Amino acid sequence: MRAVLALAPRLHRSGGSLTTGLAVAAFAVTTAFALSVLGGLLGFVARADDPPAPFTRFDAGPYVIMAAIAGVLLLVPLVSLGGAAARLGVSRRDARLSTLRLLGVTPGEVVALTVVETALQGLAGALVGAVGYAALMPVWTRIPFQGVPFTAGELWVGLPALAGVLLGVPLLAALSGTVSLRRVVVSPLGVARRQTPPAMRWYRALLLLVAFGGFVAVTKLVSGLEAAVVYGFMLGMLGLAFAGLNLVGPWIIGLTGRVMAWRARTPATLLAARRLVDDPRASWRVVGGLGLAAFVAGCLSILPAIASTSPISSDPVERFLLQDVVTGGLLTLAISFTVAAVSAGIQQAASVLDRRREYALQRLAGVPVELFDSARRREVLLPLLLVAGTSAGVALVLSALVFGAASATDGSGLLLVLGFLAGGVLLMLAATETSRPLLRSTLRDTVVRAD
Amino acid sequence: MPRTAAGHSSPAPHPTPGGPPGSPRLSARGVVKRFGATTALAGVDVDVAAGETVAVMGPSGSGKSTLLHCLAGILAPDAGTVRLGGTDIGTLNERDRSLLRRRRLGFVFQFGQLLGELPAVENVALPLMLQGVARPEATRRAAEWLAALGLAGKEGRRPGELSGGEAQRVAVARALVTGPEVVFADEPTGALDQSTGADVMRALTGATAAAGASLVLVTHDEQVAAWCSRRIHVRDGHVTDAAPGQPAAGPASGASAPGGAR
Repeated sequence: MRAVLALAPRLHRSGGSLTTGLAVAAFAVTTAFALSVLGGLLGFVARADDPPAPFTRFDAGPYVIMAAIAGVLLLVPLVSLGGAAARLGVSRRDARLSTLRLLGVTPGEVVALTVVETALQGLAGALVGAVGYAALMPVWTRIPFQGVPFTAGELWVGLPALAGVLLGVPLLAALSGTVSLRRVVVSPLGVARRQTPPAMRWYRALLLLVAFGGFVAVTKLVSGLEAAVVYGFMLGMLGLAFAGLNLVGPWIIGLTGRVMAWRARTPATLLAARRLVDDPRASWRVVGGLGLAAFVAGCLSILPAIASTSPISSDPVERFLLQDVVTGGLLTLAISFTVAAVSAGIQQAASVLDRRREYALQRLAGVPVELFDSARRREVLLPLLLVAGTSAGVALVLSALVFGAASATDGSGLLLVLGFLAGGVLLMLAATETSRPLLRSTLRDTVVRAD
Repeated sequence: MPRTAAGHSSPAPHPTPGGPPGSPRLSARGVVKRFGATTALAGVDVDVAAGETVAVMGPSGSGKSTLLHCLAGILAPDAGTVRLGGTDIGTLNERDRSLLRRRRLGFVFQFGQLLGELPAVENVALPLMLQGVARPEATRRAAEWLAALGLAGKEGRRPGELSGGEAQRVAVARALVTGPEVVFADEPTGALDQSTGADVMRALTGATAAAGASLVLVTHDEQVAAWCSRRIHVRDGHVTDAAPGQPAAGPASGASAPGGAR
């Protein structure tokens, strides 16, 4: 065991400093946003006890619920970003770990080696992320909630929570790395052989339809009930919609990939489509969180319209509440986009490194590097537009069904959401362009065969 | 193995006219290649005639792969010339050499050159599509090549779902589908067992002959080299000898195939 652990630094070097840097960066982003979101939640909890005027303790209560919803919404993409970072590190070492397994190193030793390395990367990322949390403070303290921006003191999570996150991120990293290592441990020969994954079932789509239909029906029925009951139903409906989206998302991406592959005329589109078919879950991991955030933002985009037509708009508390819900929704969308952009960057980097030999040999055979660039852009853009667009669209339709079509006549909220979506798409594309220099340096450095 | 479909279906409009009649298809003169202080090739002359199959042999580190890379326009030599037909490869820039490799040369490597996401037929059709051939036509020609190489019915399999020998035959189809003038093979059977390796060599030499292409094959394996009409040895950056009893640069007798006149 000790001998194997002594190998760790060498294996680490073989993975390359670039992937280590990417993994650490991803852990850092995860940590910085997790701390920020937790700080915001704690801020609202504190304000619920001592709200700024004109709010009363009763008015401030719903804020905690909504902040918690936003936190849950962001938790999923943050955790999957951390997981992607851990997998990036592991897939770099797959080949060598397989070799070690063939040489007779025990599964336990392989796991130990990975746990140690990935946890160290997670710790480094968490420390950088804590600094990032502090650096982001000036941004958060400019955004008004309940009429007053939070102070840095209100958003400070406290030492115990900070320590918890600094410990939790490396733990999560190690756990995720261990899980993705199962393949190597279970079958040392299985890693290199990539095969067609089983197709996903159509009944996932049916589940989503049932969830949405039931949701609309229930909301129509309960409109006369008390506020607490309605909140409960709204949470339930959101939960159902999310679960449905998560079930149906990979299936839709795979299906779209199949249609795209069937219709493709250029090599780049064909390659991008085949990759979507190959691993629709990987694409969903990147854009899935975005789908949820776009869904929420789409639902909220009709609130300004309601505010302008409703008689309650004369009440300052109600006005602040509507405004803050929209601000919170857009903030959640913006953070989701940032996290998704980093995820996409990580995924594409991992993809380049996984395929380095294929790419290098294709280039030797005269295939232009630009083919891989344009395939990558299509591979990122298609599920992104599909998921963000579909989610926002479905949300609008749902809102119109629930609140009445008249609410969709004021376009300002819609325009705001569309603006955020456009900005987010550009951010994602920019993040994945980081694979461009990586692809070129990888092709330059990949030795196809010694001698 | 039937390969009637393959031979006539490969288009061969050469962008550059060939050299004078009787001159070799591929010709290297005084090629020097250094990596830092190491001289990998120290002035090498090689000629490959149309339709000829040449095995390049030599121990590890002898420079045989570097020679292949220089002949194929992957590396630019530090001195000397490499001519393919009427084209001086050494004067081309990186982009044009890449274009030349794509259009006029074919490549078969040891393993792992097929894109893992694409089914076999799309892997073979890819180089045609890169040349602007419409997808239905590219797919049709790719399927013909796969059928000619005994892979009918496996067009939809992805590389991970093929055996090592099958994957190499797909690679052979990919190398030949564009109708190249010269096919370069770098240890094409290096990852296979002996009998599968023999199958792949039979497919490679047969298909190359049927397409009228020349073949330059790097190997350290005598049995693999035996499939070629001529062999040259590389040692310490020099081409030391042709095999006894073989002319140094003559067109090989048995290799000119039906439909191979170009």
